[in-house]
Amino acid sequence: MMKPFALNYARPAAPPPIVIPYAYDPRRQWNVLPDGRPATSDHALLLATSTTCSTAGSKTHFDD
Amino acid sequence: MTVLILTCAEDVTTDMVVSVLHDRGVPVVRLDPADLPGQVSLSAEYAQGDFHGHLSTGDRVVSMTGLRSIWVRRPGRPAAHTTHLSEWLTAESEHALYGTLHSTGTRWMNHPVAAEQARRKPWQLRVAHHSGFAVPPTLITTFPQIARDFAARYRDLVVKSVSGAHPDDPPMALPTTRVDPDADFAGVAAGPTLLQQRIPKRADIRLTCVGDELSAARKLSDPKEVDGRFTDNGALWSPARIPDRIVGAVHAYMSLTQLAYGAFDFAEDDDGTWWFLECNQGGQFGFIELETGQPLAETVAAWLANRPAPRQGQPGSPPRRRG
Repeated sequence: MMKPFALNYARPAAPPPIVIPYAYDPRRQWNVLPDGRPATSDHALLLATSTTCSTAGSKTHFDD
Repeated sequence: MTVLILTCAEDVTTDMVVSVLHDRGVPVVRLDPADLPGQVSLSAEYAQGDFHGHLSTGDRVVSMTGLRSIWVRRPGRPAAHTTHLSEWLTAESEHALYGTLHSTGTRWMNHPVAAEQARRKPWQLRVAHHSGFAVPPTLITTFPQIARDFAARYRDLVVKSVSGAHPDDPPMALPTTRVDPDADFAGVAAGPTLLQQRIPKRADIRLTCVGDELSAARKLSDPKEVDGRFTDNGALWSPARIPDRIVGAVHAYMSLTQLAYGAFDFAEDDDGTWWFLECNQGGQFGFIELETGQPLAETVAAWLANRPAPRQGQPGSPPRRRG
């Protein structure tokens, strides 16, 4: 079967760079770091994990 | 009155907004439709011309008549986390959840009906043109010869996904990519292909529109760069002034699409023209706020926190006006 043209330009999806070091806290309704601080308090971490960037939802969403 | 947020647990961009709403003392219920049924429960009774009911997750309960607004951020597919997942159960859960929420007449960011249409890239281009944006010549086709003719006419081309989705079996990334005009276009017959004239750009622009509030950021681009999402040239996003013409076009676009939120991508050429590439109705904004300091989470929270306007239009239809 012929390959769709656009797929000639596809590349392997990059694996997540690091393990996400926070977890959802349903009581507070936001993610927390292991020391209990909100994940959003660590801007450097958010940028490093790319969880807020324009490819963050590409696996399950396509509105980035 | 409560803000209802439909999103997945790992969505830290939502955390930024929940934090603001918390500081303002605005009640929030955050849940993932993927947890219905299970950790999320629903009950709604139709009586005397309307639905009355509630949603619950954990120890939180929200009345469907007590909704201030609904933010559809990154929701999972209904029932996705159940142990006996089936297409039927997903459909049942989806219709139960969204069908009753549509009946509430509350404000949505964005209404699912408006969002569904706004995702369609071909439609976006047409609406963008009619809104007053500059739009690059674009072709969507399954005819190889038409693709060859388009390539012969414009020469400098890119290919991108029509849907915006990436291939998933196996997982692949499909960045917007430059195409040799003499490429073999036979594969166009095997799948709808979107070709677009490449805009040589000096910068990428991300404009975020929340209700009537606009803010834009610019990132300098390498002249050879095509898709800034998949390259790192070391440039950072910085706040950008929005030309008056673009302000008017954005408002026209938001009115035509009935969106409350939109993240617009533009290519800025050497003449300073902003070329419309797409508008992502659920586009990310966290990375822009983190790099520019623009208070986008505050703006989203303020929109969600506004008291609902009187009901308008027919039940289940998208809101006629943005809040």
